[in-house]
Amino acid sequence: MTTFDADGITLERVREYVWEIPETGDMRTPARVLASEALLEEIADDKTLEQITNTTHLPGITKYAICMPDGHQGYGFPVGGVGALDAENGCISPGAVGYDINCGVRMMRTNLTYDELRGREEELVDSLFANIPSGLGGGGIVEAGVDTVDEILARGVDWALENGHAVEDDLLHCEDEGMREGADPDKVSQKAKDRGKNQIGSLGSGNHFLEVQRVTDIFDDEVGEAYGLSEDQIVVLIHCGSRGLGHQTCNDYLRKIEQQHQGLLNQLPDKELAAAPAGSQLAEDYYGAMNAAINFAWVNRQLIMHRTRQVFERVFDRSWEEMEMDLLYDVAHNIAKKETHEVGVGPEGRPVRDGDAGEREERELYVHRKGATRAFPAGHPEVPAAYRDVGQPVIIPGSMGAGSYVLRGGENSMDLTFGSTAHGAGRLMSRTQAKNEYWGGDVQQQLREQNQIYVKAQSGATVAEEAPGVYKDVDEVVRVSDELGIGDKVARTFPVCNIKG
Amino acid sequence: MGFELRAHTADIAVSATGASLEATFAAVADGLAAASCEEIPVDTGERFSLAVTAESREALLFDYLDELIYLRDVRAELPVDHRVDSIDVDPATDGADEWHLEGSTRGVPLAEIDAREVKAVTYSEMRLERADDGWEAYVVFDV
Repeated sequence: MTTFDADGITLERVREYVWEIPETGDMRTPARVLASEALLEEIADDKTLEQITNTTHLPGITKYAICMPDGHQGYGFPVGGVGALDAENGCISPGAVGYDINCGVRMMRTNLTYDELRGREEELVDSLFANIPSGLGGGGIVEAGVDTVDEILARGVDWALENGHAVEDDLLHCEDEGMREGADPDKVSQKAKDRGKNQIGSLGSGNHFLEVQRVTDIFDDEVGEAYGLSEDQIVVLIHCGSRGLGHQTCNDYLRKIEQQHQGLLNQLPDKELAAAPAGSQLAEDYYGAMNAAINFAWVNRQLIMHRTRQVFERVFDRSWEEMEMDLLYDVAHNIAKKETHEVGVGPEGRPVRDGDAGEREERELYVHRKGATRAFPAGHPEVPAAYRDVGQPVIIPGSMGAGSYVLRGGENSMDLTFGSTAHGAGRLMSRTQAKNEYWGGDVQQQLREQNQIYVKAQSGATVAEEAPGVYKDVDEVVRVSDELGIGDKVARTFPVCNIKG
Repeated sequence: MGFELRAHTADIAVSATGASLEATFAAVADGLAAASCEEIPVDTGERFSLAVTAESREALLFDYLDELIYLRDVRAELPVDHRVDSIDVDPATDGADEWHLEGSTRGVPLAEIDAREVKAVTYSEMRLERADDGWEAYVVFDV
C-alpha cells in the first residue's frame, strides 16, 4: 500500500488522487484528502490534515470528512472541507460553515468580445472602482433601515427584483432561485443587522474582488453552449459574501453553543468546531439565521452585479440587455444545507461509516461546505431547470494573475464528495510572508505590462497579499477535480480588469 | 511586552504578552488594529469607553475583540490605542463566574485610513495563559 507521512499523520492511498486518514482514537469516521501528490505536499505543509482529522470528531458525521484539492489551514474546520452530518442524530457547526456565510462567486456573461474591450480597460477599471463600494467602511449600494434588512434576509433576490436591482431571469439562474426557504430574520441578532445595514451591495476587502475576464478555452463544446460561453467572450466574476452581518451571526451562535452545549463542546478537539445537536432549539435557530445570511449574501452579489451592468452601459454606450449581460450562475463557498444523500446505516438505523454499513438508505444530512462548492451532476432535481440536462455550473476563481475555470458538476460527485468540489486555487502562503516577498505596486505594474491585466485596489498591501504567487496552481486543482469526475472542465477564463477592496 | 503578528496560511494570528491581564488584552487588541492597518495615524479620532461581560476569562477576551470589530463597523472607525482599565470577576449566584472588562479605545475614522477588514475573532488555537512575568495570549483572526 502506498502511504504518505506528514508530521505524525499517515495517509493511505485508496486510489489515484484519493488519500485516507484511517479512523483512530476518537475519530468517528476516516478522513479523506482528494489531491495529487504535488497538491498533497502543499496541503501537508500547514495544519490542514490535523484540522480535517479533527472534524471527524463531530457527532453524526457520515462516511468521511473530505478535504478538497485546494484545501488549506483555516480555523477549526479547514478551508476546502466538506462534512456531512446527520440532520436527525448529528449536529450543525457554525465554524464548519465559516464566518463569511455564503461567501461565494457569481459569473455574468456578456456578448462582448475581448477585441471590443481592448483599449477601454483603464476607463472600465476606473469606472468599476468608482461605482462598486469596496474596502473597509466603503458603504453599500443601498442604505437601509433594519426593516429593509429584515426583508432582504427573508426574501433574498426577490427583494432585489421588487426594488429594481434584478430581473426575473437572474432568479432562475441562481441556486434556490435566490431565496432560501427556512430563512428566519428573527434569529439574526440586532448587532448583526446593525453591521449589515450599511454594507448591502459592497465587496469588502481581503480576497474579495470583481474581475472582468475573457474566455480563453472551451473544453466541452456542448456544455459550453448550454452555459452560453464561447471563446474570446467577456464575462464578469464577482467574489464576496454576507459581510459583517454573516460574520456576526457566526460568532453569536458560536458563543450561544458554548454556553448551552458545553458537554458536546468538551468532546471536540478544537473549540471552533462548536456544534449544536440536531433537533435542539439552537440548531434550528442557527439554521434559520444562516439561511437568512445566505439570502443577504445573494442580494449583496446581485446588487453589485446589477451596478456592474450600469457601469458597462456607460462605458460601452449600449444597454446591458443589448450586451446580453445575464447571470450564468451563483455558487456558495461557505454554507451548510439540508440535503438528502444515500449513506450506510447501522442496525440502530443511524448513519455509520461505509465499512460498518449493513444497509444503505437516503438520509437528510447537514452538508457543510467550507471553502468548497456544491457540484451536482446532470439530472439532479436541485439543479436549476436551465442546466438540469448538463449539470450545475461550478465556478472556480484563480488568482488575479491566473485563469479561472467554469466546471460542471461531475457524475462521481454524489458518491465521492456529497456533491462537492473545490472552490478556488487555495492559499499557499501567509499574508505576512506575501508582504515580505511582494510589493503591491510591482505586482500591479507586472500584471499590466506582462499580462495586460488592469488591477485597482484600495491598498497596495492587499495587492501584495493577493499576488498570484500566493496561491496554489489552479490548473492542477481543476485537473484533479476533472480526473476524479467530481467537477468536469468546461471553460477557462483569463483576467482583464480586477478591482479589490 | 506587547504583540507580534504571526503568519497563518489563510488568516492572521496575534501573539501578545503583558505584565497584567489588562495589559495583555490591550496588546491583543493593538495587534488586531495592526492587522487591519499598516500605518495608524497618531493624532486623529476621539477616545471612547467600552465595557464587556462574559462567563470566563477566555470568553471575555473573545467578546472584547468581537465588540471592537462590531464597533468598527457600526461607528465606521478603526479602534486603536487600546486601554483596558480593569478586569474583575464576580462569582455569580448560580455558580458561574461573571467576568467584567472596562476600557477605552480611540476610534480613527475609516475614511482617513487604508484599512483592511478583519472579519472576526476565532476560538481556533486560542491560548490565554499565565507566564513567569505576566500573561501570554495567542489569537487567530479571520481575514
